Amino acid sequence: MSKEIVKEEAPSSSGVAPAESPAFASLRGLQWRINLGILPPSSSIDDLRRVTADSRRRYAGLRRQLLVDPHVPKDGTSNSPNLVMDNPLSQNPDSTWSQFFRNAELEKMVNQDLSRLYPEHESYFQTPGCQGMLRRILLLWCLRHPECGYRQGMHELLAPLLYVLHVDVERLSEVRKLYEDQFIDKFDGFPFEENGGPCNFDFKKFSDSGEDEIGSQGNSKKVCSLDELDPEIQAIVLLSDAYGAEGELGIVLSEKFMEHDAYCMFDALMIGARGSVAMADFFASSPAAESQSGLPPVIEASAALYYLLSIVGSSLHTHLVELGVEPQYFALRWLRVLFGREFSLQNLLFIWDEIFSEDNSPLDKVSEDSDHFSFKLLNSCRGALIAAMAVSMILYLRSSLLATETATSCLQRLLKFPESINLKKLLEKAKSLQILALESNKTPLSSAFGGAYNCTKSQMSSPNVPSVLVSPNTALSPLPDTYWEEKWRVLHKAEELRQNSSGKDTPSPSGKKRWAERVKFGLSRTESCPSPAREEKCKRDSHSVRRTLLEDLSKQLGLEEDAEKGGCFEASNLEDHHSVEVQGEGQNCAIKESLCTTENRCENRSGAVVCEENSSFFPDPPSPPGCGINDHENDTEKSSVASNLSVDDNDDLQRRSPEDSPHRVSLPPEDVSPSPLPENESSGKTSSTKERRNLSGKFQWFWKFGRSNVEETSDKRGGTNEAAKPPIHDGNRSTADSSATTASSNPHPISKGDTMDQNKMGTLKNLGQAMLDHIQVLESVFQQDQGQVGLLDNLSKNILVGKGQVTAVTALKELRKISNLLSEM
Amino acid sequence: MLVPGKIQHIICTGNLCIKEVQDYLKTLCPDLHITRGEYDEETRYPETKTLTIGQFKLGLCHGHQVIPWGDLDSLAMLQRQLDVDILVTGHTHQFTAYKHEGGVVINPGSATGAYSSITYDVNPSFVLMDIDGLRVVVYVYELIDGEVKVDKIDFKKTTTTTHSAH
Repeated sequence: MSKEIVKEEAPSSSGVAPAESPAFASLRGLQWRINLGILPPSSSIDDLRRVTADSRRRYAGLRRQLLVDPHVPKDGTSNSPNLVMDNPLSQNPDSTWSQFFRNAELEKMVNQDLSRLYPEHESYFQTPGCQGMLRRILLLWCLRHPECGYRQGMHELLAPLLYVLHVDVERLSEVRKLYEDQFIDKFDGFPFEENGGPCNFDFKKFSDSGEDEIGSQGNSKKVCSLDELDPEIQAIVLLSDAYGAEGELGIVLSEKFMEHDAYCMFDALMIGARGSVAMADFFASSPAAESQSGLPPVIEASAALYYLLSIVGSSLHTHLVELGVEPQYFALRWLRVLFGREFSLQNLLFIWDEIFSEDNSPLDKVSEDSDHFSFKLLNSCRGALIAAMAVSMILYLRSSLLATETATSCLQRLLKFPESINLKKLLEKAKSLQILALESNKTPLSSAFGGAYNCTKSQMSSPNVPSVLVSPNTALSPLPDTYWEEKWRVLHKAEELRQNSSGKDTPSPSGKKRWAERVKFGLSRTESCPSPAREEKCKRDSHSVRRTLLEDLSKQLGLEEDAEKGGCFEASNLEDHHSVEVQGEGQNCAIKESLCTTENRCENRSGAVVCEENSSFFPDPPSPPGCGINDHENDTEKSSVASNLSVDDNDDLQRRSPEDSPHRVSLPPEDVSPSPLPENESSGKTSSTKERRNLSGKFQWFWKFGRSNVEETSDKRGGTNEAAKPPIHDGNRSTADSSATTASSNPHPISKGDTMDQNKMGTLKNLGQAMLDHIQVLESVFQQDQGQVGLLDNLSKNILVGKGQVTAVTALKELRKISNLLSEM
Repeated sequence: MLVPGKIQHIICTGNLCIKEVQDYLKTLCPDLHITRGEYDEETRYPETKTLTIGQFKLGLCHGHQVIPWGDLDSLAMLQRQLDVDILVTGHTHQFTAYKHEGGVVINPGSATGAYSSITYDVNPSFVLMDIDGLRVVVYVYELIDGEVKVDKIDFKKTTTTTHSAH
């Protein structure tokens, strides 16, 4: 008679985690088989046995069919198979030999992995019996599913399954020892008639002879004795009854059929058994047929992880995204072996308990035309728990991850999950996140993310930018107000003076320049006030900023002036710009970039701040080394800008150096010599000379700016620069010059007096403006190229075009640097 | 049919004549055993060779040393001399395989079908041995009239030979 064992609950039928442990809690193998869908939940022992037996038969049949040994004649009666086809060298794919060789190939791959399986538990896993079983199971599964093939990691999914079966069998043998009498089939001395029937039968008399019969067969007295046992023990006994349903094949906890059972579990796990989460998907490299995102499933699942993380821990998420840590770098391993490599075997068993106890049925149909993008992984309770588990693991490492600066260190921490963990907490957190995950998969919010992720799935950079802008994280130290306010006042006065006396340039270009100047100077100002800790970074930032600003400025000035004047001027102006900047550079031993000399200047300045030895170079009388370096710089100029004019300009510049002195005299007694001035002189054109002087003044200011940075170590202030400016600006300067200084000085108070946030906002605005400037520069370059073509003869046109291209290229470079800067911020 | 990777050892009785043939055989399988035939230019091949594959001991000799050529008894004498289970010889360019005194004497014939010293009527043939434990299956591949014909001979070793150290 069959015995119904009412389970306390059926854990697999509902997605809710059971409050009490299920009846087979101690029999993991059995529990998992139920959860994975192999065995029917909440059914009688007999049913369990029958289903078990069926599954085993299937496996045995599969084994016979697929594991072919061509040596052994198959049916025994097989007459010589067509040897032409079936010989070992036959290249016929249908021959048994080719099958044999294919199997051999697969086996080689599998063996490679198996030999390295669980070396810490090698007492079990490395035994030949176990290895043989694992090998056969994997081989058969792969042969059965040729579309998946064998992938590394499948063996790690299989190993714990086999292990729990093994544990179950051990438990069974324990129980056998304890309750030997339940199992033993002794009928000797079992009386029938003598003592008046079974009712009066005194079992105690026969306890010595160990007469009890196995469970279900037998009279009510036997049943009583069985009932007295723990339900669990009862279950074990009944499940192991050799006379129960299906006989020996139906003994649910059987050592003999461990392989069969493990295969069924593995198959169910991999295919998903009509559920949503199929592990085999994670091994596939191509997108699934009905995938909405067109990504391979494991990539999509990793995206689901990040999506969930972005909901729960957005700061950590943005941090990881910033570093460029794509989720699949670590999630691939996590998902493919279901965290098998992250935890010890015992902990893993607990985790898998939880995961398998979740229902795997898809929650809502993933259809092609669904208007919102939902992750397949989050489409079932089990999948959601897997995702939640992963996210809770990431959150567990939150503090150490936030402390990482590079992607590699971040990945190192993620991939080496700590050994001693509070598993309970981890699992609880995972449970709580699971509900969230399930919810989030349904909301339209997911569509935005999904869409965004689809667009940027190949580059994570674009999502980076918005998130970066949202969270500014640099703290700029406030400047001492009084000093800079003073400077500003001084400059402001000077600017007013200048404005009154100006009238040279047309308002718009000068206005533009002024604004550009202001922008750049302001930006450079903010960039130059880093906290000591961030000095290095700011230095770099300031590099790019200054580079961009100064370059932009030079281009703007040069191009604007060019627009006003004729072609050759433009060329020479640009040349002069370059050489001017180069001159300033020449003072410091910095990297000399031929095209972007302003960059050099910037680097020098910041380099000077950091490496104080450079400061020694500044006090050197600039003119002698200046001339010498001028040659050098001009050489580089020559090489960088391949045009004939440059040579001429250089010569002109050298000739102009004697003209420095008057300018120098006019300067305030600083140990800063205006060597840039000579370069600013034009090659003999009076109007351009004036322009040059304007430019020279401007660049002198720049140079002084850099110079003063040297003098002040931690603050990169152009303090002395400021002081130098008013005296520099004599009446000869055009508004352009004054506008430059004004523009430069104006932002000073703004940046100084403001709070850090305002600085940031101002900086951002300035950066944006600078970008616009560059774009305008590029446009103007192209305009000029087009404009100048008609005007000049071939030679100058070529030169012009070359110069235009050069400036365009440099402007592009600056744009790029600005964007880098923005992303750094 | 002879593709690299499927064959683990090549046993060649000799008369490869030139090095290029040896190189070609090497591409099929790195483990190559050759004995010296009378026309071999390579002088460093041995006259006879013995090797053990699985449970079987194999002996290799070209066969022109054994007179009369192709005579079973003489070859059996060589087999006893070398103390091998399987003796592989050639020279006659005719495929033969004898089970003799608990051992097998195989002549794989000529792989190229070259005329022999004795006869013009030569079919190209070679032999594939599938050694599996105590059992060897000999597949004979012959090219007859432009078609590959395959034949199979089973041979089981009755006892594992125990090599007594003298």
